[in-house]
Amino acid sequence: MIIESKDISKPVRESADVCIIGSGCGGGASAKILAEAGKKVIVIEEGGYFKTDEFESTEEFAFSNLYRQRAGQATDNLAVTVLQGKCVGGSSTVNWTTSLRTPDFVLEQWAKEFGVKGMRTKDLDPYFMRIEKYLNVHVEPDENHNLQNRIILDGAKKLGYRAKATGRNTRDCAKIGACGFGCPIGAKMSVNVTYIPDAVKAGATIFSEFRADKIEVTGSQKKVLGAIVDRLTQKQVSDFVIEAPIVVVSASSIFSPVLLLKSKLANSSGQVGKHLTFHLTSALLGTFDRSMYPSSGIPQSALCDEFLNKNGDGGGFWMEAVPATPTLAALAIPGFGGEHRKLMQKYPSIGATIVLVKEIDSEGTVTVNDYGRPSISYDLGSRDLDYLKQGLKATAEVQFAAGAKEVLTLHARMTSFKSLDDIEKKLARADWGPNEIALYSAHPLGTCRMGEDARNSVVDSHCQTHDVKGLFVIDGSVTPTSLGVNPQITLLAISEKSAEWIVENFNRIVG
Amino acid sequence: MLNPGINDSYSRRRFLKQSTFGVLALSASRFFPVFDSGVNLPPQIVGQLRFFSPKEYLIVEAMADRMIGKLNDGAPSASQVDVPLRADKFLSGADPEIQEQFHQLLTVFNAPAFTFLFDFRLSSFINMKPEDQDTYLEDWMTSIIGFRRTGFQALKRVSLSMFYTESRSWKEIGFEGFDAPR
Ligand SMILES: Cc1cc2nc3c(=O)[nH]c(=O)nc-3n(C[C@H](O)[C@H](O)[C@H](O)COP(=O)(O)OP(=O)(O)OC[C@H]3O[C@@H](n4cnc5c(N)ncnc54)[C@H](O)[C@@H]3O)c2cc1C
Ligand code: SF4
Repeated sequence: MIIESKDISKPVRESADVCIIGSGCGGGASAKILAEAGKKVIVIEEGGYFKTDEFESTEEFAFSNLYRQRAGQATDNLAVTVLQGKCVGGSSTVNWTTSLRTPDFVLEQWAKEFGVKGMRTKDLDPYFMRIEKYLNVHVEPDENHNLQNRIILDGAKKLGYRAKATGRNTRDCAKIGACGFGCPIGAKMSVNVTYIPDAVKAGATIFSEFRADKIEVTGSQKKVLGAIVDRLTQKQVSDFVIEAPIVVVSASSIFSPVLLLKSKLANSSGQVGKHLTFHLTSALLGTFDRSMYPSSGIPQSALCDEFLNKNGDGGGFWMEAVPATPTLAALAIPGFGGEHRKLMQKYPSIGATIVLVKEIDSEGTVTVNDYGRPSISYDLGSRDLDYLKQGLKATAEVQFAAGAKEVLTLHARMTSFKSLDDIEKKLARADWGPNEIALYSAHPLGTCRMGEDARNSVVDSHCQTHDVKGLFVIDGSVTPTSLGVNPQITLLAISEKSAEWIVENFNRIVG
Repeated sequence: MLNPGINDSYSRRRFLKQSTFGVLALSASRFFPVFDSGVNLPPQIVGQLRFFSPKEYLIVEAMADRMIGKLNDGAPSASQVDVPLRADKFLSGADPEIQEQFHQLLTVFNAPAFTFLFDFRLSSFINMKPEDQDTYLEDWMTSIIGFRRTGFQALKRVSLSMFYTESRSWKEIGFEGFDAPR
């Protein structure tokens, strides 16, 4: 059953075996496994519930209804925009369908440096296979790549760089291109149309427009307290208390630490909110002498992974296409006024390619501000900055090889190249401080990291907090390092595995 | 090793308050409230405002028109697409810390005391000539003071996002929306 705030007329008092906070990859997958194992599951979701035919396929609808802060959530100084979903299905509802397994070298690092157990490739492979089958992950045939993805495939091929089609979690995709606004025909196998309906079928209750504000622990019992909010005004209309012996915090890498910090729980290590990684992203905008249809067709279906961990230092970057819808393009295009507008008039001929850096020496922090909301900061390390510069250069090469006539970075001071000759010089002269180049993250991770040493991690290898038995964090917060790949399949695998462990050990945990 | 040049300036402080200068400017803004005296706004607009004061509305209107630009080719201006009213609606539902700082930002951005302090100009933003408004915005965008660059970003985000999410702005850029079979 899915219950929305409009269905509620009085305060809600409920109890369950497991209360899950958040309905994205972490919460949705956990809910399905636990409910199918016969547990009484309640899921609390702050955002709204929409049926697929209610998705209007416009930026206005999506930003207002499905995204955090109208897609404007950012670090405190607005230097890095942090995109996240806020709706049933979480960020998966608005994500771009790329479905990839965790790189081997990353899982090895987790085992070696953080003592993480049971998460090596051989342990996760059965989960990857099961999830890929469930979500119909497949690569698109060659003719299905749109012109934006062709830039990567064709440009990289000409240069001899490794590029390939990515896995996508879709079934009968009609290539509408609106994945980032909620797929209007339910072709995208996101959590809102897969795990959540299956969890509901197995008896789970989803409360949407319910915001958890605090978790209280008394003995082995826990209470989740919060506000029921009106969809339109976002004002509190009532309150709720859910009692359960097991609470799973799946509110995302930005909101899970906020909830733990506000509840003063699970932070004896002092690590809650620390080690935030972004998979730091910037872009290059090429102008072509033909129409590139920047927002038509499958938005993301190819990547170039030539430069990930190429030096064996665990860092590097890769390239992907991006749905450059009008507002996202307008915000990325440098400058303002007439000059900006002239560039916007070239919109149909823009080819946008993003560069995503797998961080090795950058980190962010999430703390709680005076209003009880996240305050996000980020320190960009010199090695990652260097990879970002290398990434922009390599991407410019790919763009030119694919036929771009001019290529623009996202620097506030307009920085463009007409040929490869002046790239290095111009990038060396460019400014790289906050708000001197537009930076993004759609993959924020970390902040409640996993490890076997309770002194420097928040949860163990089963995602149970070291400090509080029966309190779990299962979502993007738990990754000990930057992943270097789009995270949804990794997070679903960790979630399914951890939820299975809860089922197997239920009596021991609550006893 | 963190990059010493960048580490500091990306670090943790509130939106706009990320430098001593920003904190001082925002604190001082309390002493320069945006007075509405002499502001003549049609009652049908005043009646719709939920977040901006009438004077703030005029600041946003002037700023958004310069931010979006006008190319004399018949394409709509920011005000013709109701950017200030749409921004008012959005900000009326925004998180309280964003609301508080947006009010402060508009004061700092417009008040002659601050335009003088930043750029030795004696005029408020809304009373500047359009070319001067552009230069003033450019100064904010490329300022060596992080607080002003952040302020510029906040103004750019609100203006562009209210303009380009509106279907009336799409024809000019050749965007036809998504063709969703239902
Ligand atoms: C635009 C975009 C594109 C992306 N594209 C891809 C892609 O192509 N491939 C890929 O692998 N990944 C992609 N991602 C990332 C991926 O979707 C996320 O990493 C993943 O969904 C994170 O899962 P999560 O469970 O940690 O958090 P989320 O999925 O974000 O879910 C957290 C949920 O918790 C809710 N919540 C937060 N606080 C509270 C509270 N206090 N009370 C109740 N509920 C709360 C939120 O509203 C949200 O719904 C993309 C993300 C975005 C935003
Ligand atoms: S491209 Fe496919 S998955 Fe994405 S919105 Fe369109 S039909 Fe849905």
